[in-house]
Amino acid sequence: MAIERSGSKLFKFYLPLVMYLVFLLFPFYWMVNTVFKSDKELYDMSLNPFYIHHPTVHNIVRLFTETIFLRWMANTFFVAILATLISLAASLLAAYAIQRLRFKTSGPTGVAIFLAYLIPQTILFIPLASIIFKLKLWDSLWALVLTYPTFLVPFCTWLLMGYFKSIPKEMEECAMIDGASRIRIFWKIILPLCLPGVLSAGIFCFTLSWNEYLYALAFISSSAKKTVPIGLVTELVRGDIYHWGSLMAGALCASVPVALVYSFFVEQYVAGMTGALKE
Amino acid sequence: MKKERQDMTRRDFIKTTGTGLAGAAVLASPFGPLAGRAFAEVAPPKLALEKNPVVKVLRWSVFIGTDKEYWEKNCRKWEKVTGGKVINEYISWEDVRPKAAMSAAVGGGPDIVLGWHDDPWLYPDKLLDVTDICTYLGKKYGGWEDVCVRYGSKDGKWIAVPMGGPGQEIVYRKSWLNEAGYDEFPKTNEEFIKCCKKLKEKGHPVGFALGHAVGDGNNWAHSWLWSWGAKTVNKDGSVAINSPETRNAMEGMKEIYSAMIPGCASWLDAHNNKAFLANQISVTNNGISIYYAAKKKFPDIAKDTYHSNFPIGPVGHPAELHLFNQAFIFKYSQVPNAAKHFLMFMLEKDQCAPWINAMEGYVTPGLKAYRKLPIWTADPKNTPYRDCIKNMLWNGYEGPIGPASAEVMAEYVVVDMFANYCARNVSMDKAIAQAEKAIARAYKK
Repeated sequence: MAIERSGSKLFKFYLPLVMYLVFLLFPFYWMVNTVFKSDKELYDMSLNPFYIHHPTVHNIVRLFTETIFLRWMANTFFVAILATLISLAASLLAAYAIQRLRFKTSGPTGVAIFLAYLIPQTILFIPLASIIFKLKLWDSLWALVLTYPTFLVPFCTWLLMGYFKSIPKEMEECAMIDGASRIRIFWKIILPLCLPGVLSAGIFCFTLSWNEYLYALAFISSSAKKTVPIGLVTELVRGDIYHWGSLMAGALCASVPVALVYSFFVEQYVAGMTGALKE
Repeated sequence: MKKERQDMTRRDFIKTTGTGLAGAAVLASPFGPLAGRAFAEVAPPKLALEKNPVVKVLRWSVFIGTDKEYWEKNCRKWEKVTGGKVINEYISWEDVRPKAAMSAAVGGGPDIVLGWHDDPWLYPDKLLDVTDICTYLGKKYGGWEDVCVRYGSKDGKWIAVPMGGPGQEIVYRKSWLNEAGYDEFPKTNEEFIKCCKKLKEKGHPVGFALGHAVGDGNNWAHSWLWSWGAKTVNKDGSVAINSPETRNAMEGMKEIYSAMIPGCASWLDAHNNKAFLANQISVTNNGISIYYAAKKKFPDIAKDTYHSNFPIGPVGHPAELHLFNQAFIFKYSQVPNAAKHFLMFMLEKDQCAPWINAMEGYVTPGLKAYRKLPIWTADPKNTPYRDCIKNMLWNGYEGPIGPASAEVMAEYVVVDMFANYCARNVSMDKAIAQAEKAIARAYKK
């Protein structure tokens, strides 16, 4: 009986889990695998591609000595953190207002914000470029800090609207009877309760800002102001020659901060995504 | 006070001598066959430079390391001559077009863009007239190749300065070609098809990009199409793809496809480089970058790697497409004269020759005198690349250059037509009909 149960668990739980993990982690394994291979080994099809025969750190050395990768990382951090904070602040206020203040046009406003999310970046970047140019923010990291919220705020607002919906109104009403103002209620009651939602929205903002390509390409010119996605492509893809090892080293190093952010807040993130507050 | 006097002297000097280098006859220089060669005595246009000009240049990130080294060196030289400053922005070559289009739309950004193919034709009214410098350079350096005139000038006015092109030629493994019974690479389409099949029989398949490879795919598909006498549009822009010549080209392509390594229908620009250096394919079309990379990292493969011009088809003359690079200056530039002067300076022999030589054949200039640069003969394997601009037709041949030709290329209409028929089981009629529809849509706008 016990053997039967464990066998069933093996097929119903562990096997799918392992398969899923392999599927999920294979890109990372492939990145690591490529980072430590020389070009000669990379192009030698007679060798087993899943194994590193002659490990080398040349690709990592090249990434850190022949490019300004650390500078790009710093730029990306700066932009991602500020864009995330601005987007969260705006989204929290917007979502709360739409969900709780129930003004006349709150419904259409929510829909309008969602529609803004549907406009592709490839259409938005030209009018945005015109604004950035007029603000004299061309080739400045602030151009990215201010434009990223255009695609971050709508999604976060919708995510947080759903979250606010799950918080019972009665809690606010009790606080109001006790004399608390709207701002106080928001700060002392709503915000702590919806922290998982805020965190998941924050992680979402951070990841999207970290990986963004089009606006960074359009608004930044100087090499020293580039973000990681642009810097890597510019310096390590030369026409039809791809420096695969260094590219993978860059991709791997750049994915570490995002992975760390996820690992720290994974529980809140999951709670935030699943809607969360239990009545 | 002293500084002002120095600036004045420098500007006066440039005003009267144009480039500051070009007025005098060329004396002995270290550039082989061009050394001591007296170029035509042509007076450079008089350009009154702006005070302390800062010229911003947007260009493709280098394919070959020495490109950047010499380009930057020449920029510093220009700064010394003029007292100005050059700021170069290098971005991936495929990203130059959207970024330049954005600058054209908002009226701000780089002064000069080194763009591709039809780029200047997308917003000609926003570009500075560069007829004076192009006429001067053409007269001095033996004239422009025909395709340069076609690409660079509109209604008799130059809108862009042709910088040249990273050419594509046939890259092949000599020992494998010999194994298949050939001493030299076939010169005609018919022989070429037979050769590809024999190579496959010997276990050495060929590989040509039929995926959305911006350079390799488009260049290969268009060159093949034109070599059979087929074309997308007529001179007046009417659609001409549905022709017996196109059908012949498609049949020929299908035969070559049977000799290709699996996967070519999804290849991008980097795939053939990798497959060639991994000993997976014996023949492909590419810039000199495969040979360049092989010399650096795979010397055995480099020794066995040779180049040839594209085979000649029933049309009877070379009809090739290569990447084509041209520099254009936006009208919004605050330093129009300095920008013009910069481009003129960069194409003068003293700057251009060492730059081209350093790139080891990657870029072929559009000025005919530069065919004599030593790089084309120092290594005989470079020689086929010397003629690529000479042998080149323009994108959208034989119709007008403009947004329509750019759209047809950007949508990979010709590449997809071949790929659909060869690799995706689409009938020839249907593949041609799809292409015809897409071309008509582009040219109707």
